[in-house]
Amino acid sequence: MVEAISAKASRLISPRGAMLVALGLIALIAGAIGLTSFATGYVIYIVNLVMVAIVLALGLHIVIGECGQFSLAHAAFYGIGIYTAGLVTNLLGAPFWLSLLAGGLVAGLIGFFIGFLSLRMRDIYLALSTFAFGEAMQWLFLNWTPVTGGPNGLNIKPATLFGFQFLTDRAAFPLVLSVTLVILALVAVLHVSTLGRSLRAVRESEIAAASVGINVTRMKLTAFTLSAFVAGLAGGLYTTFSTFIHPDSLGFQTTIIILTTVVVGGMGSLIGAVGGAMVFGLLSELLRQVPSYQEMIYGGILILFMMYAPRGMFSFVGRR
Amino acid sequence: MIKIFRTLPKLASAALLGALIVGPQAKAQAPAAEPGLTATTIKIGMFGPLSGPSMAYGFDVVNAARMYFDKINREGGIHGRRIEVVVEDDRCTANDVVAAVKKLVEQDQVFMLNGGSCSAPVVAARDYVVRSGVPWVMLNASGDGALYPPQPNIFGALSISQRAVGGSTIEFATRQLSAKRIGYINHDDAYGAWNLEAARFQAAQNGAELIVESINPAIADVTAPVLKLRAANVDAIIIATYARPAQLILKKAQELNVNKPIVIAVNAIANLRQLVENVGSREAFRNVYIQELLAAAPGSEKLAWVYDLYKQSYPELAAKPDHPQVYMPYGIPPAMVIVRALQAAGPQPTRAKVIAAIEQLNFDSGVMAGPISFSPTDRAGQKASIYFRFDGQAMTPVPGVFASRWTYQGQ
Repeated sequence: MVEAISAKASRLISPRGAMLVALGLIALIAGAIGLTSFATGYVIYIVNLVMVAIVLALGLHIVIGECGQFSLAHAAFYGIGIYTAGLVTNLLGAPFWLSLLAGGLVAGLIGFFIGFLSLRMRDIYLALSTFAFGEAMQWLFLNWTPVTGGPNGLNIKPATLFGFQFLTDRAAFPLVLSVTLVILALVAVLHVSTLGRSLRAVRESEIAAASVGINVTRMKLTAFTLSAFVAGLAGGLYTTFSTFIHPDSLGFQTTIIILTTVVVGGMGSLIGAVGGAMVFGLLSELLRQVPSYQEMIYGGILILFMMYAPRGMFSFVGRR
Repeated sequence: MIKIFRTLPKLASAALLGALIVGPQAKAQAPAAEPGLTATTIKIGMFGPLSGPSMAYGFDVVNAARMYFDKINREGGIHGRRIEVVVEDDRCTANDVVAAVKKLVEQDQVFMLNGGSCSAPVVAARDYVVRSGVPWVMLNASGDGALYPPQPNIFGALSISQRAVGGSTIEFATRQLSAKRIGYINHDDAYGAWNLEAARFQAAQNGAELIVESINPAIADVTAPVLKLRAANVDAIIIATYARPAQLILKKAQELNVNKPIVIAVNAIANLRQLVENVGSREAFRNVYIQELLAAAPGSEKLAWVYDLYKQSYPELAAKPDHPQVYMPYGIPPAMVIVRALQAAGPQPTRAKVIAAIEQLNFDSGVMAGPISFSPTDRAGQKASIYFRFDGQAMTPVPGVFASRWTYQGQ
């Protein structure tokens, strides 16, 4: 048994790889300590936001990058995660991990039902139906006032763990970093697993995948459910350092930004999703310093990448 | 997979390097006592929409506040200290407002904040500002969500709160137009919910009936709400929406031959000339009144000093056709509040002293329709407005000032 696990682990990661992982983690911990010790709360806030963007992009990566299905509903899943986690915190005073998990599970459950749509539809029809779902959810966030606060927005109590309240970005940072790393590791494992290969087989050709015994229906359902679950987790993660949410932040524009992140980062590439989220997360903040020209610069960057790097800005690393 | 792990050490090293670069800078700026205060300067953090679709609500408002601070500096500053301003673009979105505020407080180490031009997004910064204890005087955001319930260090509604918009328009419609049945078109967002709350209150107090049509700000066809109000045979219609739906409503009201008086709340008047052009017919303005928060008509003699100061301070902008923008003078009262509070706080100001001083302020700005007044239980500074009859070209003042009476009841 032990040998079997060891053999599986060795297929997943080589001794050299394990050493690199260990070194990477040590460097990451050192970087994190450095950041919390020296950087201002503002810098840590931006880093926290970027990590939420990474998790959100990982969620969309599962359905678009791995399984090749269109989805324009991720801002909605993200919103479901935020509202669920926020309400669990507000009403039950639950620890952050429970709120986080609740956000992911509720979004995942709804994603499962949305997955049924994908069984009959593809391409533009699937895109439109998921878009409609996203719009419907935003209407719900805006109008279900007793639950979501409606147009007044929802104030969320600070996240807690063992009675300790995460009142600042600095306090929440280790938490956000840990959760992001865990989710990143899980998505990386999914990427190299049999399930990941099956998802990519569906992406390449549903007929070919079915002909080798892959249950296409099950794969699509799995992709939508996992994707929504991860987007919900991103929402829960947001509530660990932000105490207010308004439906305006969860509309179609947000969906397009997430989609841009994944597509311009490099569709189908894990590094592309992560790198795209980092680049666009930071770019958005940096462009705030050049108010008059930010839309032009942003648009110009997008056009250049589409022209000269259509496979994504990180297409040169790790595409499978 | 392995390639991911190969990049991790590099990423982590970069993060560590970044922290080392940013860290000392932050430490070097950390002051001993009150942040943002030196022997010769007081640092104020400003934020507003300097770009994007909501720019008209704040760009020139920020400019107006800056020029007032510059004027005070030219006159010798406050107790020998010059006001130094750091400005951030908040794009009128919640995430950007929070990022701007955190940068100003934590990175730029400002003494106090002066910012916010859009109602809903400013609420996102409320909890953080309260926890940080930094005094915050809003620009022209109505900011009801951050002002009610009252917070210890947040002050605003220097132009008007949304509650006061609703209350004042009803006061005008009932007192001036003798309306008993009032059609009220608002948005189905935070903005609309706030102004409707006080509108209902004032209508009940004045014995008027309110027929409400709440519409989406992105509405493309307003036929249904206008037809409903026509069928309800209302005595007057109040439009408390943004500019775009307002022009659609005016157009439709003309098409459907609605000849009752129409009162346009200040929210809809980002650019009056543009509103007329977009409606396309002066006939649509045959029975229209507009709400104005200033003490007199924009550009009139009473407010000439504000417009003259703008021309002196920003000659290049003033030469452009759309400047100063409509809301420009609204930047003056918040700057006045800050200057008066700093003066009252004395030569050794602290944030606590400034907050205590703002709580006691009650003065006539000479710029806004009503007095600016705060109290320990009321953080909304201005509640009145004046009205003009507007025929699409000329504005004829209606005598009197119409104030909202709604007060926060702790709900």
